[in-house]
Amino acid sequence: MKPPRRKGPSALAVGVTVVVVVAHVLAWRATEFSPAALVRGWEGMADFLGQAFPPDLSWRVLGPSLDAALVTLYIGLLGTTLSVPFALGLALLAARTTTPGRWTYQAARSLLSFLRAVPDVVFALIFVTAVGLGPFAGVLALIFHNTGVMGKLWAEAMEEIDLGPRDALRVSGASGIQTAAHAVLPAVVPQFVGLLLYRFDVNVRASLVLGLVGAGGIGFLINQSIKLFRFDEMATHILVVLVLVVAVDQLSAFVRRGLT
Amino acid sequence: MSEAALVIRGLRKSYSGRQVLDSLDLDVRSGELVALLGANGCGKSTALRCAVGLETPDGGTVRVDGRPAMVFQQIHLVRRRSAIDNVCAGALGRLPLRRSLTPALFPRELREEAMACLDRVGLADRAAERAGRLSGGQQQRVAIARALCQRANVVLADEPVSALDPSAAEQVVALLADLAHQRGLAVGAVLHQPALARRHADRIVGMVAGRVVLDSPAVAVGDADVDALYLPAVTR
Repeated sequence: MKPPRRKGPSALAVGVTVVVVVAHVLAWRATEFSPAALVRGWEGMADFLGQAFPPDLSWRVLGPSLDAALVTLYIGLLGTTLSVPFALGLALLAARTTTPGRWTYQAARSLLSFLRAVPDVVFALIFVTAVGLGPFAGVLALIFHNTGVMGKLWAEAMEEIDLGPRDALRVSGASGIQTAAHAVLPAVVPQFVGLLLYRFDVNVRASLVLGLVGAGGIGFLINQSIKLFRFDEMATHILVVLVLVVAVDQLSAFVRRGLT
Repeated sequence: MSEAALVIRGLRKSYSGRQVLDSLDLDVRSGELVALLGANGCGKSTALRCAVGLETPDGGTVRVDGRPAMVFQQIHLVRRRSAIDNVCAGALGRLPLRRSLTPALFPRELREEAMACLDRVGLADRAAERAGRLSGGQQQRVAIARALCQRANVVLADEPVSALDPSAAEQVVALLADLAHQRGLAVGAVLHQPALARRHADRIVGMVAGRVVLDSPAVAVGDADVDALYLPAVTR
């Protein structure tokens, strides 16, 4: 018996392939992607790195660097923690399993999308104009942006649960808030904590960038040392950042392992 | 005879053109266990889901004495909460919001009542254990305790023992029969084990293609009656 002939690629597959290839060609040209330029300019890079090493590890630089790194950590911590109530409230409205109605669902989803679409750096610039340069603007920026991201992640976690326990309580006459509190939320606690730790991790790194626009922390010091051409000090700050990021990453990975 | 606790008349339901319930009539009286038998897809589960409001019927009426409680094949407890917290959750409908946002706010009388319900199903000693750590049969008994804590007069069970081993299944169905006879509950249970139904139920209702074709006291139901319910559609 003859096996059926293998089908050739469909018109859709051909079309998608063409579009993807064309997009990459356009992107290559628009970003002026050129390995040759990188090879030609290697001296500039070597010069820069030569000035950065060895890093200036004197206490005059390292002391303030550690202080600023701690501020960066604090910005990330407060930005994450203080966004929890807002993210939770919006997530409950924006999850199909808990939302009270279609309009609230759409409104909450739109608000979350907006908060997510505005980068935290832009929020930071806006809040700097209100509260001045400093870490407080960074915390505010993270609260807003993180509410958008974490609210969406939490809402999706709630949409993926088994609806049986919720239905069982709904049959018994429990209200929407009661079913959320006793069937939906208890089922997603591990996912929520995992996502919270992941966002803390991301936010500590984000608060670094916020420093670059004047919202305090070690990013601010990195920016300053670049402007003063003190690349050896910059290298010190970057080393401190490296240690901070790895420590936070390890900590959250450790907690998440213990969670499941 | 007094009016039944659950009265279903002329219930109709179809999914995308397929008629699942075709003018179904069903009564369940207080103090009796009614077993619903029938082949897969004959509409037993849909009938129960319409009765408790999880599905909206296309037509017909459902009258229930009070709010029914439902027991599911998949049990549907909150696995991360303790058995007693799960039982207390059955009472949410009559608690004010401020006493019910977390289990820590549940009134003491409720916890005592829940404990009595767990005791009734023989699991008082496991009250503090996480529901997810109990065996399937124990979890199903916790779910029944939750129905008791809801103070429901009508308990509907959708294949409550299909996922349990034979001895756990026997225990759960016997418990449902006991609750019907001693507490005067009206219990309707979809079962896939005709032998269990004939041992424990007071009345057996057989369904074929969305209609009731058999409704008689369990003692009067013979093997041929049961076999007829499961014949393939072509030979029917």
